[in-house]
Amino acid sequence: MVSVPEWMNGEITAMLDTLTSLLSSLQSPLWPAALVGIMIGLLAFAQRWTTDQPLSCSTGFAQIAGLFARGGRQADWRLVFLVGIVLGGVLAGLTDGEPGWQGTPAEFGAFYTALVPDSSLGSAAWWLAGGLLIGLGARLAGGCTSGHTIAGVAMFAPASLTASAIFFAVAVITAQLAAWLLGV
Amino acid sequence: MTGYRNNLLFLLFGIGFGFLLSRAGATSPDLISGLLLFDDLRLLWVIASAVAVGALLSALAWRFGWRARNTGKPISIRHKPFKRGLIVGAVLFGIGWAVTGVCPGTALAMLGEGKWFAAWVGAGIVLGAGLGSALNRRLTGSSDGG
Repeated sequence: MVSVPEWMNGEITAMLDTLTSLLSSLQSPLWPAALVGIMIGLLAFAQRWTTDQPLSCSTGFAQIAGLFARGGRQADWRLVFLVGIVLGGVLAGLTDGEPGWQGTPAEFGAFYTALVPDSSLGSAAWWLAGGLLIGLGARLAGGCTSGHTIAGVAMFAPASLTASAIFFAVAVITAQLAAWLLGV
Repeated sequence: MTGYRNNLLFLLFGIGFGFLLSRAGATSPDLISGLLLFDDLRLLWVIASAVAVGALLSALAWRFGWRARNTGKPISIRHKPFKRGLIVGAVLFGIGWAVTGVCPGTALAMLGEGKWFAAWVGAGIVLGAGLGSALNRRLTGSSDGG
């Protein structure tokens, strides 16, 4: 047992409290925003440092499509990376100490609960159509929120800055307009 | 680097990315709507800090000529090209992102977490990406590029 001066007891208790709350927040489904953002930035750079390949998601989706079509894109590391993302989601879901996703209105939030059709057929069609816009848009733009925003903007690429500004502006306008029309 | 080791490395990077997307809350449709409706800007801080760290390291790597481990050459700074369909594509992407609360990376992490609706979005993304690649080939008359 290390003896410490009387006046330090308060400080040590405060430090232990901070440490305990940090550790308990790491076991929750959400980590502090800046911490997890910094970790994503470090991870994306580590990939460039070790492999010289920047982050990429939507190109891998085009490669999946290529598996079903003749003359489509050849699969490369991007497909392996996408498989990794699914496994990362599995790992995160198993270790967050929360019950599994039930698809309740509370989980979707007020906006998406009001926006997406109620019927199972209607909602499936909605998601499929939305996904189609995402995939088509990402390929025409040459990247998505991963390749253009996280990787491209960090490299100060003009095309990525432009694409990212449009992604966010259009998404914000679409959502705000829809929320206004739906009254949510 | 052998193909096997290379693939293992990319698998690990993918696992890390998917895990962090989940812990960020980027796989929660509720938090995506919070970002787009300015109700909860948590995800804005995630994106901003990720981009800030990336930009800082990118600038340092460029300034000091840091070398990539696999090539032994300076880490490349690759600027994606201005595609002919960039503006239209970015608009379509923005709409799709807003109406589903999902983007290509998070669709896969959601699938891993057991958010099954993401499978529909993911199937749509595959269809759309295939269509987009075919369109890009028409627009440029050559490869799909980036």
